[in-house]
Amino acid sequence: MEMPLFVNMEETVSIVLFGIGFTMLMLHRNLIKKILGMNIMDTAVYLFLAVKGYISGRMVPIVVDGIQDVSAYINPVPSGLVLTGIVVSVSTTALMLALTIRLYERYGSLDLDEILMRAKEEEKI
Amino acid sequence: MSFVQNFPFFSIIIAMFSGIISSVLDGKRARNLCLSVIVLTTGMSLAVLHFCVRTGQSYTYMMGHFPAPWGNEIRAGILEGLTAVLFGLVMFFSVTGGMDHTAVDVETSKQNLFYIMIDLMLSSLLALIYTNDLFTAYVFVEINTIAGCGLIMIRQIGRSLSSAIRYMIMSQLGSGLFLIGLSLLYDVTGHLLMSPAREAVAGIEAAGLYQVPMLVIMAVVSVGLAIKSGLYPFHYWIPDTYGYATPTASAVLSGLVSKGYIFLLIKIFYRVLGRENVIASEIVNVLFVFGLAGMLMGSVHAILERDTRRMIAYSSVAQIGYIYMGIGLGTQAGMVAAIFHMFTHSATKALLFISAVGLYEVSGNRKDFRSLQGSGYRNPLAGIGFTVGSLSMVGFPMLSGFISKLLFATSALQSPHKMLPTVIALAISTILNAVYFLRLVITLYTIPGDSPENKEKELANKEKAPEKRPVLTAGTWKLPLAIISFILLNLTLGLYSQPVVAWIGSGLAMFD
Amino acid sequence: MEGNIRLLLPVVAPVAAGIAVLLYSGFRRVRKPLLAVVLGILVLETILLGLALTGEGSLLLWQLTDVVALRFNVDGVSRLFAVLTVGVWLLAGVYSVAYMEHEQEEHQFFGFYLIVLGVLVGLDFSGNLITMYVFYELMTLTSLPLVLHERTKEAVAAGLKYLFYSVAGAFLALFGIFLLLQICGNQTFVPGGMLTAIPEGKAGLFLAAIFCILVGFGAKAGMFPLHGWLPAAHPVAPAPASAVLSGVITKSGVLAVLRVVYFVVGPELLRGTWVQQVWILLTLLTVFMGSMLAYKEPVLKKRLAYSTVSQVSYVLFGLSMLQPQAFVGALSHVVFHSLIKNALFLCAGAVIVMTGKTQVKDMKGLGRRMPVLLGCYTVVSLALVGIPPASGFISKWYLAAGALASGTGIWAWLGPVVLLVSALLTAGYLLPLTIEGFFPGADWDGEALERKAAAEDQKKQEPSAWMLVPILVLTAGALLFGCFPGTLIQMLETIGAGVL
Repeated sequence: MEMPLFVNMEETVSIVLFGIGFTMLMLHRNLIKKILGMNIMDTAVYLFLAVKGYISGRMVPIVVDGIQDVSAYINPVPSGLVLTGIVVSVSTTALMLALTIRLYERYGSLDLDEILMRAKEEEKI
Repeated sequence: MSFVQNFPFFSIIIAMFSGIISSVLDGKRARNLCLSVIVLTTGMSLAVLHFCVRTGQSYTYMMGHFPAPWGNEIRAGILEGLTAVLFGLVMFFSVTGGMDHTAVDVETSKQNLFYIMIDLMLSSLLALIYTNDLFTAYVFVEINTIAGCGLIMIRQIGRSLSSAIRYMIMSQLGSGLFLIGLSLLYDVTGHLLMSPAREAVAGIEAAGLYQVPMLVIMAVVSVGLAIKSGLYPFHYWIPDTYGYATPTASAVLSGLVSKGYIFLLIKIFYRVLGRENVIASEIVNVLFVFGLAGMLMGSVHAILERDTRRMIAYSSVAQIGYIYMGIGLGTQAGMVAAIFHMFTHSATKALLFISAVGLYEVSGNRKDFRSLQGSGYRNPLAGIGFTVGSLSMVGFPMLSGFISKLLFATSALQSPHKMLPTVIALAISTILNAVYFLRLVITLYTIPGDSPENKEKELANKEKAPEKRPVLTAGTWKLPLAIISFILLNLTLGLYSQPVVAWIGSGLAMFD
Repeated sequence: MEGNIRLLLPVVAPVAAGIAVLLYSGFRRVRKPLLAVVLGILVLETILLGLALTGEGSLLLWQLTDVVALRFNVDGVSRLFAVLTVGVWLLAGVYSVAYMEHEQEEHQFFGFYLIVLGVLVGLDFSGNLITMYVFYELMTLTSLPLVLHERTKEAVAAGLKYLFYSVAGAFLALFGIFLLLQICGNQTFVPGGMLTAIPEGKAGLFLAAIFCILVGFGAKAGMFPLHGWLPAAHPVAPAPASAVLSGVITKSGVLAVLRVVYFVVGPELLRGTWVQQVWILLTLLTVFMGSMLAYKEPVLKKRLAYSTVSQVSYVLFGLSMLQPQAFVGALSHVVFHSLIKNALFLCAGAVIVMTGKTQVKDMKGLGRRMPVLLGCYTVVSLALVGIPPASGFISKWYLAAGALASGTGIWAWLGPVVLLVSALLTAGYLLPLTIEGFFPGADWDGEALERKAAAEDQKKQEPSAWMLVPILVLTAGALLFGCFPGTLIQMLETIGAGVL
C-alpha cells in the first residue's frame, strides 16, 4: 500500500502551501511579505479546488463538436470557484497594497510593529 | 409564488447597486441614497418577516435558472427576516447618529466613498443573512471585510490606517481558514448549497466516513469565523479598530459586522454541518471555553482602559464572549440566548458608541474618560443614552441586557455539565461590567471640583487642546433621533422579549 | 394589567412627581412652590397608600417573558414595610424643608427623594422574585443621587462604593434567583415557602444559591462581608438622606432576605443546614463588629452608620433563627430601629446645621444650648440600647427569647450573649454624647462659647420647628411602641404564624 500522502500529492502540497501562507500572513512583520503570504494562502486553496475538479483523462467542458456524454468532461464548478476566488483575492490584495503604500508614505516603514509604535507616539503628540 | 418572496434578493441587489451608483454622486446625494436604501431594505425585510410569520414556513428562492444542486439559492425564514430587520434598524440609526461627524471626519471629496462602503456593508450583511450557498457566503464575507476596512481607513489619521491594516490581516487569516474549510467540505460532500450539503453530511456521518476531515472542517470554519468576529484570543484588533474609526463606522462594525459572521456560523452549524455533529465533535466546547475566557478577559481589559471608546470596544470582546458561550452550551436554549444577545448587543453597543460621541464632543473631544466629567449635564440626552446603554450591558431589569442574562442563565441551568462555569463566569463578568460601566456613568454626572489642582489641570488642558472643534450635533435632530430610537429599541427588546424569543425559536426550528 | 389597579398609584405618583420636579426648571429658582409640591406629594402618598391597602390586592403589571411576570401582591409584610416607609419618608421630608436650605440644588434632592419613595413602595408591594429584583435595582440606582448629592470628591467615592457594593450584591443574588426561578417558577410569594424538599441531587448547588442570595441582599442590609458602603455613604449624604438610607433602605435588604427565606424557599428547608449556620455566624459577627467599630468611631454620623450595621444584623439574626418568636422580634426591630435611627440621624443633622460640628468630642455642652434636641437623642438612644419601657427592649426581648427556644445548638445561647454585649456597647457609644452634652464638667467654659455664638449671630438655640417636630414625633413613636406594643406584636405574630 502506498502512503496516502503521496497518492494525494496535490492535496498535500496545497495544504502545505496554505500553512506556509497562513504562517507568513500571521507572523511576518513586513507588510509586503504578509501580503505575499496571503496570496500564497489563497493560491493554495485554488490549487486544491482545481485538483478536486480535475478528473484525469477527461476534457475541459467546452463544447467543440457537439455535446458529448457527461462522463466526458471534468467537473467545471471548481474552476468557476477558482475564478471567483481569484477575483476576490485580487481585490483584497489591491486594497492591502494601497493601505501599505499609505502607511509607507506616512511612516516610512514597512515593519508593522514599528508602524503601530509610531502611530501610538503620533497620537500622544 | 408571492411577490414578497422576491424581496430578499431585491434588497441585496438594491443595496449593491446603490453603492455602484453612489460612485458618481456627490457626498450629500450618496448619503441620501444610502439612507433611503436602508429604509427600503429594512421595509422589505419586514415584509419578508411578516410573510414568514404568516405562512409559518421558510422558503428557498432560486437564483437564475439552475435548480437545486447546481444553482444558487436564497433562503428566508423567520430568523433571517428578524435579523435583517434589526440589522437594518441599527444600521439606519448608526448612520443618522454619526452623520454630522462623518461630514467632518471624512474629506469632502471622499464623502460618497464612505456611503458606498455603507451600502456595500448593508448588501453583504443581507447576503450573509439570506444566502443558502456557501461560496456566495465566502464572497460576501470578503466584500464585507473590504467594506469594513474602507470604513475604518476613510478617516485618514495614523491610528485608523494602522488599525485598518491590522483588521485586514486578521480578517484575511479568518477568511483564508473559512475558504479552506469550504473547499474541504466541497471535496467531501460535493455540494456548496447548504441543503444538499446537509444531506450529504448526514449520509457521511451515518456511514462513519471521513471523520478526521469533518472534524477539520468544523474546526477550521469555526475558528475562521471566530477570528473574524473577534472571539477572545483573536480579539486584539478590536479596540484599535473600534476606537479610532468614525462614530458611525464604530457603531456599524461593532454592532453589526461581527454579528453577521456569527449568524453565518450558526447557520452553517445548523444548516450544513448538523447541530448534533458539531456538538458531538467537541468544537462547541472549545468555543465555550474561549467564550468564557472572552467574557472575563474582555471585562478586565476594559477596566484597565482609560480611553472611553477603547473601553467600549473591549466590552465588545466580552459580549462576543457571551454569544460564543451561548453557542458553546450546545443546547437549543443556549442558541436562542446567543442570538438574542446578538440583537441586544447590536442595539446597545451602537447606542453606546453614538452617545459617546455626543458626550466627548462637549468635552473638548478628549476621549480619556476623566475629561468626560460632567458631560452628562452638558449633553443631557447623550448622557441618558449612555446610561441606558451601560445599564443594559450590565443587565439591569427592563432593558434587553437583562433578558439576555436571564436566557443565558436559564439555558445554562439546563445543561448540567456546563452549568457551574457558566453561572460563575456570568456572575463575575456581570460584576466586572458593572465596575467599568457604572464608573463611567458616575463620571458623566460628577462635576469636577473647583480645587486649585483641578483649575491648573484645566488651564493646562486648554493650552494644549488638540483640536478646537465646534460642537457638531448641537441643535440638530440627528443625534437625538438616533439615541432616542436606540433607547426605544433597547426597551422594546427588554419589555417585549416574548415575541422575539418565540421568533428566534421558530426560526431556529426552520433551520433543521 | 389585571387586579387591584389602586396598587399602582402609590408607586407611580411619587415617581412621576419626582421626575416632574427634576425636569421643571421653575423649581430651580424658587423654593416655596418646590417645597409645597414635595410635601403635598408626601401627604398625598399617605392617602394613596391608605387607599391601596384597604382592599386585598394583587396586580399583574407586565408579562416579561413566558414565565416571568411582574406582579404586585400585598400581604402583611408588604403592609408593614410600606406603612413604615411612607411614614418615615413623610417625617424626613418635613425635616428636609429646614435642612436642605443649606444645600445646593435642592430640586435634585427632592426629585430623587420622591422617586425613591415610589420605588420603595413598589419594592414593598412586589409579589414575586423578579419584580422584587427589578425594584431592588431601581432603588439602588435612584437612591444613588441622594448619596452623591454634594458632588465632592468624597461624595463621589462614597457613591461609587455604595453602587459597587449594592450592584455586586444584587448580581450575586440574581444568580441565586435564576436558580430558584428554574426550580420554583415565577410564582407569587407563598407564606412558608414554595418548596417541600430540597431538589433531588442538586442540594449543594441549591444551598450555595441561597447563600449567594443571603450575602447578596445582605449587602444592602449591611451584613458582613458586604457592609463597607454604610460608613462611607452616610457621612457624605445630607442628613435626611442618611436617615432614610439607614432607616428604610437597609431594611429593603432585610425585606429581600425575608421574602427569599420565608416566602420562596421555606424556613424548614434551611433549618440545620450549613447555610443557616454560616448565616447566623455572619449576623452575629456583624452585630459585634458593628458595635465595636461604632464604639471607636469619633465622627457622629459614621458612628451612627456603624451602629446601623450592627442593629440591622439584629434583625437578620432574628430571621436566621427560623423561629416564630425571633421572627416577631426581628420584624418589630425593623420598625423600632427605623424610627430610632431616623431620629438619631436627624438629630445629628440638626447638630451639624446648627453648630457645624461633626465630631462627638466637640459636642460638649450641647445640652445647654439645645436641651430638647439632646433630650430626644437621649430617649431614642436609650430605646436603642433596650432600656424598658422604650421600644428596643421589646424587640430584643423577643429576639433573645426566640434564640433561646430555637434549638440551634451553640447559637441558641451564644446569640443572646452577643446581643447583650452589643447592647452594652451601644450604650457605650451613644450615651457619652448625652453625658457630656448635659454635664460637660467643671472645666467647660460654656459662657465663652455662648459669647462666641452670639458674636457669630447664632441667636437660635434650638433648631427650627421643621426639624424639631419630626424628631419629636419619631421619639414619641419609639417610646409609645415600647409602652403599647400589643397591636403591632399581634400583627407580627399573625405574619409569623403564616410562615413558620
